[in-house]
Amino acid sequence: MEAPLRAWLPRLLLIGVVLLAVQTSIATELRPFGVAIQVVLACAAAAGAASGSTEGAIAGFLLGLMYDLGTGTPLGATALTMAFGGYVAGWGRQYRIEPRWWILAGLTAVGAAAGEAAVPLVRVMIGETDVVSRQMLVIVPVVAVAAGALSPLFVPTMRWALRIRPVELRLPADA
Amino acid sequence: MIVALALTSVLLLTLDLRGNQVFDGIRSGFSVVMSPFDRAAEVASAPVVRLWRAYDDYDRVVEENRALHAQVDAQRSAEIAAQNAIIENQDLLALEGLESLASYDSVTARLIGQSPGNFDQQVEIDRGAIHGIRVGMAALNEAGLVGKVTSVLPQSSIIMLLTDPSYAVPVKILATQEPTVVVSATTTTSPSTTLPSALEVAPASGDSSTTSTTSTTTSTTTTSSVPAVVRETGVLRGQGDLRLPRVSFIASSTSFGRIEVGDTVFTAGGSTSLAPPNIPVGRVANVITRAGTAGQELEIEPTADLNRLQFVRVVLYLPPSEVGG
Repeated sequence: MEAPLRAWLPRLLLIGVVLLAVQTSIATELRPFGVAIQVVLACAAAAGAASGSTEGAIAGFLLGLMYDLGTGTPLGATALTMAFGGYVAGWGRQYRIEPRWWILAGLTAVGAAAGEAAVPLVRVMIGETDVVSRQMLVIVPVVAVAAGALSPLFVPTMRWALRIRPVELRLPADA
Repeated sequence: MIVALALTSVLLLTLDLRGNQVFDGIRSGFSVVMSPFDRAAEVASAPVVRLWRAYDDYDRVVEENRALHAQVDAQRSAEIAAQNAIIENQDLLALEGLESLASYDSVTARLIGQSPGNFDQQVEIDRGAIHGIRVGMAALNEAGLVGKVTSVLPQSSIIMLLTDPSYAVPVKILATQEPTVVVSATTTTSPSTTLPSALEVAPASGDSSTTSTTSTTTSTTTTSSVPAVVRETGVLRGQGDLRLPRVSFIASSTSFGRIEVGDTVFTAGGSTSLAPPNIPVGRVANVITRAGTAGQELEIEPTADLNRLQFVRVVLYLPPSEVGG
């Protein structure tokens, strides 16, 4: 991460607050196949797809903390899953210096799927029971596809938030 | 880095689950910061949400409307009888000095949000601590139990629905046994002594006399007993969004009679239960018999339609153990 934390943190917090408001209003109402689209998780995965696993994990962790604070879930539960989602999306990023838009969409979808699939595992870890169900087979794909579809919007947004300059996406002409 | 973040998350989880005043304060502050954003998002998204609902719900609403009309017609007479029974019940409870649901204060609240996640069954209401709501209080609507309050902010609260896997409440199952008809035939043989009738003409000699005979009586008795209500207690636990809540820990005793599909389930109350007694919860939808000593498990169809909540009533009830503490 080139830019220091203090440089991009205010932007990330601002985006987090706006996304959280969207998550708790429109995203909870529009439920395709009965599944709430996870826009905050999609943004965390987009951060990873845009910049890499470390940045994705940190952005996901901070966005997840805001999610926990705003929705009343145990503090750290969503932070952990979103950090994981951001990390997975960024991990795939290492194989491409300048991915095409559809690769970024795919990475965002995979990261979101990993983050959403981790939710029941974390819930089991903190003592909840009967969280894993066959409904997961619907939830995870829907969340992933929605995140992929939102990536053309979220990837540039997270590049702005994390202060990733376009020049950083280019290889030197003659390395 | 991911390991450090994971460990930080686990630390935060541990501290939060053990109860932490600092985190509660941060949550309250964050909700204040978020409230203008929430309102703005709500206003901005309202037209889209309405459009989506119109598209998504139309066919179902039309079908539901037809079914409800038929149901209303069928229930009119039952409602009158039920109202009468409720009034009688409340009068009797008042006479005996017992508490009923009507004797607790309550706060009516409007739903202002649903759970943003796919793994929590929660709703948010527009009443909070300043209205007297406390963590643990039961929430219900006209049909029955909805859930319990799990988080309270000054102006709003979070209610965990009874389908949430973390939800548990003691309940009792009331099984009404069918009236039994007993037909018995009795043959009785008994000696009897018949005194002379006063109207009989006395013998000329003036002596009085008695006549001894043997009578045989055969009687047929038909007995129709009043419906008997049997009670059994257990713990109701949520199973997630698409699965029915289950009642377990049932004392499988023949003295209680058999539990059958359709039997009614109410909250059991008690000194430690956060829900007052006698709130309707639902009806038995399925009886699951498990092998060995595991006993029975019941699937319960909640009477309250948790997908169509608009208003809920929070009962301002604290169990005796909490009041005393």
